[in-house]
Amino acid sequence: MLKDLRVSCAPHISEPFSTRSVMIDVVIGLVPAMIAAGYYFRIRAAVLIATCVISAVITEWLCNVIRKKPNSLDDFSAVVTGIILALSVPPGLPAWAAVIGSVFAIAVGKMVFGGLGANIFNPAMVGRAFLTASFGMLMTTWTVPATIDKTMPILGTKNDALLNEKLEVVARTQATPLAQSKEAIKNKTGAKRVNNHLPAAVIGEVGGCLGETSAIAILIGGFYLLIRKTINCHIPLAVFLSAYVFSGVTWLINPEAYISPAMHLASGGLLLCAFFIATDPVTAPLTKKGMWIFGIGVGTITMLIRIVGEYPEGVMFSVLLMNAVTPLIDRLCKFAPAGGKPNV
Amino acid sequence: MKVDIKGRFSFPGGTHPPQEKNLTSESSIQPGPAVKQVTIMLSQHIGAICQPTVNKGDIVKAGQMVGNSDAFVSAPVHSPVNGKVKEISLQSHMVLGRSPAVVIEAESENNPPKEQCCDKFTSDVDEIKYSAEQICSAVREAGIVGMGGAGFPTRVKIEPNPRLPKETLIINGCECEPYITCDYRIMLEWTNQIIAGVKLTKKTSGCSRVFIGIEDNKPGAIEAITESLKNSGNDDIKVIAVKTKYPQGGERQLIKAILNKTVPTGGIPPMIGVVVLNVATAAAIAEAVVLGQPLTHRVVTVTGEAVANPGNYYTAIGTTVGELIEFCGGITQKAAKVVLGGPMMGIAVADLSTPITKSSGAITVLTKEQIGGAKFARRQTACIRCGRCIEVCPENLNPTKIAHAVKNNLLDVAESYYLNACIECGCCSYVCPANIEITGYIKTGKIALARQKKKIPS
Repeated sequence: MLKDLRVSCAPHISEPFSTRSVMIDVVIGLVPAMIAAGYYFRIRAAVLIATCVISAVITEWLCNVIRKKPNSLDDFSAVVTGIILALSVPPGLPAWAAVIGSVFAIAVGKMVFGGLGANIFNPAMVGRAFLTASFGMLMTTWTVPATIDKTMPILGTKNDALLNEKLEVVARTQATPLAQSKEAIKNKTGAKRVNNHLPAAVIGEVGGCLGETSAIAILIGGFYLLIRKTINCHIPLAVFLSAYVFSGVTWLINPEAYISPAMHLASGGLLLCAFFIATDPVTAPLTKKGMWIFGIGVGTITMLIRIVGEYPEGVMFSVLLMNAVTPLIDRLCKFAPAGGKPNV
Repeated sequence: MKVDIKGRFSFPGGTHPPQEKNLTSESSIQPGPAVKQVTIMLSQHIGAICQPTVNKGDIVKAGQMVGNSDAFVSAPVHSPVNGKVKEISLQSHMVLGRSPAVVIEAESENNPPKEQCCDKFTSDVDEIKYSAEQICSAVREAGIVGMGGAGFPTRVKIEPNPRLPKETLIINGCECEPYITCDYRIMLEWTNQIIAGVKLTKKTSGCSRVFIGIEDNKPGAIEAITESLKNSGNDDIKVIAVKTKYPQGGERQLIKAILNKTVPTGGIPPMIGVVVLNVATAAAIAEAVVLGQPLTHRVVTVTGEAVANPGNYYTAIGTTVGELIEFCGGITQKAAKVVLGGPMMGIAVADLSTPITKSSGAITVLTKEQIGGAKFARRQTACIRCGRCIEVCPENLNPTKIAHAVKNNLLDVAESYYLNACIECGCCSYVCPANIEITGYIKTGKIALARQKKKIPS
C-alpha cells in the first residue's frame, strides 16, 4: 500500500481545464461559422478548412521532429490556427495557396518562436499576412455566396426571388460591403445603399472571407466561448466599443460618405477578430486593463485602416500591430499586490 | 440578531473548488482511536523548536509538558497520555521531513482520548475572574497554537502589545478548504466553549469589536452561534456570513471581507489592529484558561472517497495518520494520495507513521480519479498566458511571472513581483489549464530566496 501513495505539491485537485480543452472549446465555438461557410460557399469551404487544418497539423509535427521536441499536437492549437486561417481567406483561394499560408503560419508564426505560448504574433494572422503580401490578387477576389450565385447550386427559390426583385443585389455581392464602403468614402456618396445590406451581412449572404460573412454564426460561437469562460468579455467589448465609437463619429459627420457603425461591426472580419483572433491568450495582454488597451487598439486601428487607410479591411494589420505592442502593454500594466505598491 | 445567511462579504479573486463537505458534515465528533504510543513532534508550530524536558525512560502523566523553549515565538508541547518516554528521536514530520520528537508509550493498552469538555461550559463565562496576564500565561503554558493550519503561537498573537494596539478580533469559522468539517462540527457542538474562548481572548487582547466570520455554506453553524450569543446576551459579538469562496478562510482575505481593510504586503494583521483566531483555537483557549488543560487533543476530520468510514474524531495529538485511517476502516483500493489537511493546501504524506500535530485539521484520502485531475497526471504545456491565475489570485499577484522567474532561477525578478506576498493558497495551480505547478514553483522560490539571504542553511 505504501508504495502506491503519491506525493506532490498542493493543490491536489484541479479544475477540469487544460490547454487542450481550451483549444477544443475554441474549435467548438468556430463550428457555427464553419457551418455558415459550408452553407454559403459549399465545397470550397470544406476544401479550404480541411487543407488548412491538415497542413497546419503536419507542419507542427514536422517542426517538432526537426527540433527534436516532444509531440505537441495533442494541445489542438494547430487545428485552431488552421481553422481560423481558413475562415479568414477568400473562398476562392486555391488549395495550394492555403497550404503555403498554413505552413508559414505554423512554421514562422509559431514554431520558430518555440511553439505554443512563445509566439509573439497570432499565427493565423501571420499566415494571412504572408498570403496577402504574396498573392495580392487571389486574396482580394471575392466569390459570391452560393445562395445567390446563379452558376452555383442553390437550395431554394427564395434566393431567386431575391435576385429577381432587387437586381442591384447581384451587383453588390461581387464586392464586399467594405470595398463598397471604400468607394462611398471616395465618392462621398452611396454609403446609405451599403447600409441597406445590413440584414444580408448579419446572416452572411454577402461576399467576403470564408468564415467572416455570417455575423450571426460568429456571434453564436462567441457567446459559447463567453459562457464557457474560455475567453472573457474584456477584449471583445473593447474592440466593439472602440470600433463603434470611431465609426459612429464618422457616420454622424457624414452619413452619405461613411457607412453606419452597425454595418462596420457586421461586415468584414471584425466579429471573428473580436471573439476568436484578438482573444488568443498567447498574444494578448495578461491583465484586465491591458486587455482593454489591447482591444481598443485593435478596434481603433481596424477602423482607421477601413475609413482612412487604403485597404478596405484592417483587422489583420490591427491584430498584428497590437500583438507587437503586447509586451509593452504588459509592462505598462503593473501589478500592485493587495496592500502593496506596484513593482518597478 | 438576524443572520444574513446569504453572505455579502468577500474578497477579490478566489475560486470555487467542489465542496465535498457532505461526506462528514453530518457526523458528530466521535472519540478517536485508542493509542498505545504517541509521537509528539517538538516542532508543531511556527517558531523555535522545543527542547525536550523529559528524558528517555521518564514516566509522564497526561497533560505533562514534554518539550519547551525559551524563545518568545514558540509553544510547549504536552503528552496526551499517561505513560513512559520510549525514545527521543527523529520522526517523520509532515513539513520538515525528519524532525525531533518525543515518543511516549502509553501505560495501558487501551487509552481512549480524553473526554470532550464542551459540556463544562455555558454560554456565560465569567471572564472578569481572569486577568489578562493570567489568560496569556495560561495560553502559553497550554501550548496553544493556531489550529487552522499555520500553527502560529497564539499567545504571541493575543498578548497586548503597546506598539501595535489591537482593536478588532475576528474569529475565523470559514473553513474554506474542501472536505474539512472539523471546525463546522466544533461550531455546532462546542458553541458555548467557543464563545467562552472568544470572550477570554477579547479581554486579553483588549479588542473592542469581535466578529465571527462564517461562510454561508454553513447555515447550521451560523444559526447555532447566533442563537447562543443571543441567549447569553453577548450583543457585542457579531456573526458575519461571508461568501463561500476559496480561500475565504485566509486571514488576509477574511479581514478584507469583514472589515474591507487590506493588511499591508509582507505585514501582519496587528499592523491594522486586527487579530484573527480560528474557532478551534478559541475553544482551546477556553479549555486552557478555565479548566487549565493543555492542548493535547484536537478534532480531526478523516475524509475522502477512499476512506471506509469518514468522520470527525476527537484525537490525541501524536496519533499517527496510519492509526487514524485504520480506525476509520482503512483505505480502499482506490486510494492514491493521503493528504494531511485539505486538497488545496494540505501536504501529501507518503509515510503513514507521520503523526498529526496541533494544526492538522484533516486527513484527506484522495482517489486516483480525483488526483487524475491534478497536475502531474496530465501533460504540462507551455504557459498560454490565459491570465486565469492572475484573475483568481486573492493577493493580486502575477503567479505565472513569479513561477517562470523561479523556474529560470531569476530570484530577484521573482522577488520584485512579490514572491513573498504569496499566501500559497493554490488557486493559481488549481485553475491553470497548462498544468503548471505554479504554487510549487513559488514555494520552491521562497525557500531558495530565504537560503540566498542565509536564513536557512542548505
